[in-house]
Amino acid sequence: MNWPASSSNVGGTSATTSPRLRRRRSTSQAERRRRLATWVQQNGVLFALLLMGAFFVSRSDRFLTRGNINIVLLQVAVTGIIAVPAGLLILAGYVDLSVGSVMVLSSVAFGQVFKSSGSVTVAIVVAVLVGVAWGLTSGFFVSFLSFSPIVVTLGGLAAARGIAQVWSQSITVSGFGDAFGKLGTGRWFDTPIPIYVAATVLLMGFYAWNQSTAGRHLAAIGSDEVAARAMGIRTKLLPFLLYGLSGLAAAIGGLIVTSQLDGASVSIGQGEELTVLTAVLLGGVSFKGGRGSLLGVLSGLLFLGSLRNGLILLKVGTFWQQVAVGAALFFAAALDVLYQRLERVALEKASDSDDVDHVTEALGAN
Amino acid sequence: MPTEDLMLPPLLRIENVKKRFGSTRALNGVSFDLGHGEVLGLIGDNGAGKSTLVNVIAGVHRPDEGGIYVDGVEQQLGSPREAQQAGIETVFQYLSLIPTLTITDNIFLNRELYGPGTILHAMRRVDRKEMRRRVEGAYQRLGLDLPPPDTKVIALSGGQRQAVAIARAVIWERQVVVLDEPTAALGVRQTLVVLSFIRRLKEHGVSVIVITHNMEHVLAMSDRIIVLRLGRKVGDLITSETSGRDLVERMTGAAQIQLEAGNPDE
Repeated sequence: MNWPASSSNVGGTSATTSPRLRRRRSTSQAERRRRLATWVQQNGVLFALLLMGAFFVSRSDRFLTRGNINIVLLQVAVTGIIAVPAGLLILAGYVDLSVGSVMVLSSVAFGQVFKSSGSVTVAIVVAVLVGVAWGLTSGFFVSFLSFSPIVVTLGGLAAARGIAQVWSQSITVSGFGDAFGKLGTGRWFDTPIPIYVAATVLLMGFYAWNQSTAGRHLAAIGSDEVAARAMGIRTKLLPFLLYGLSGLAAAIGGLIVTSQLDGASVSIGQGEELTVLTAVLLGGVSFKGGRGSLLGVLSGLLFLGSLRNGLILLKVGTFWQQVAVGAALFFAAALDVLYQRLERVALEKASDSDDVDHVTEALGAN
Repeated sequence: MPTEDLMLPPLLRIENVKKRFGSTRALNGVSFDLGHGEVLGLIGDNGAGKSTLVNVIAGVHRPDEGGIYVDGVEQQLGSPREAQQAGIETVFQYLSLIPTLTITDNIFLNRELYGPGTILHAMRRVDRKEMRRRVEGAYQRLGLDLPPPDTKVIALSGGQRQAVAIARAVIWERQVVVLDEPTAALGVRQTLVVLSFIRRLKEHGVSVIVITHNMEHVLAMSDRIIVLRLGRKVGDLITSETSGRDLVERMTGAAQIQLEAGNPDE
């Protein structure tokens, strides 16, 4: 191992021409595998969605009509709004299981405040504040006090619905007027308003996920929290705030459903946390954190909506729909494993070839 | 600049640094200088104070006594960030790289570049193209044969990960790079890779402090070697004028060594 202290020969160009070429070729092969793996991970559900869509189109004339598309989109709109912060939370290695109950708590808060104040505006503000406060409280325990996210938000799932039932005494308040009814049932250009709300939230989500520092910092936290902290990332503040956004999204979802029903019913949001989780995980976001895309979440969402809708159009019973959703989740889990295996294969290839040639180069320069 | 070396203060000066943890004296008055473009080996047995010294230079620990000077100016290194701003980048033994992010994202993590179209302060739009371009520039300048900048770190070998961490230091134009056991977890081949990167850093005028316990590596790569033992400096040697045997004797205290001139009292 000689060490020439003053070597001006940086690359050792002539001696290493052929190993360089060899390396290029094998790296590009490894690179192709890696890209394929990434593509499978990010677009697997999209591909499944298109296949399934084609199948339903061939079996039903109604599937691809404007009216039916609106129905599918409307059905997934509320789930979509909540899935954006939920997906980011899972990307960061956290989870919020309380969203369904925060929906009903916000809805009941809206109903009760409306009943006593008579003002829709005041009631909306209170409902939103309740959602955000609940989210931030969960976030405080999970982020700053390092409580288990699953346990804390599972507690929230039970507690928030319980509080909603006690507060409303399980009586549904209704009669909020036409203006508030527009939020859930109104249309612009023949498209229901909740779809616009969901589209706006998704666009903001795309920006946060892909374009902002917040998105990559959350991915870093989910991938390796210790290393992220060492790089000065705010590993506690970011998830804390994200829990607040999760509560906000749940409150908005709760208000939309309240508007659709024209009633603050205690049955709102039941099981919503599992639907959201299903869409996010179908979309290829790794439950271990660090990996995933919002395009995947959107695909998972549409897959879930189309699957239910298509099976209804084909007059398949609801229990078969549940079996189909289960099978799809299993498929997503299999894709996740396949992806990680591909990535590892790519790693072995890359390190083999690169090392040999770096050695050649290091020796050649001496 | 190299011709005026005698006129300039040393790039980094550690002066009489002391640090104790409870009743343990981890560092008991260590002083040394680091010149421009110099590769300094720092060796010592377990418990000699190597890690404490690294943490002091990296801004992780504040020394109880003594000073750190960069280009003759005293620095208060209260956090890793302040050390970086003073021009010192530390690559720890357990690398602070995020496996599922790309090389570019890792190099710019928490120091992202922003393009036009700023909305909110916390939601600034990152300039992917410019960051990628700079990483490619660093590859070229350093002659690094790494996979493309948008490759995820999870797909890199141990030696390549070291190289990414080193490239991070170069992109940020640090004057001093501290490498904590850069070859500890690596095989023979990857060690050679890292050794060649250290040489390239030197060629680019970057000063390097390498902490290691591998005698062969420190003799191969350094210009000068500092030996620590029980929190004190027991050797400050020109590499070409020393031997592995001499170093081992100083590390283990087998021979009683007179401290070098210019050292603090006690």
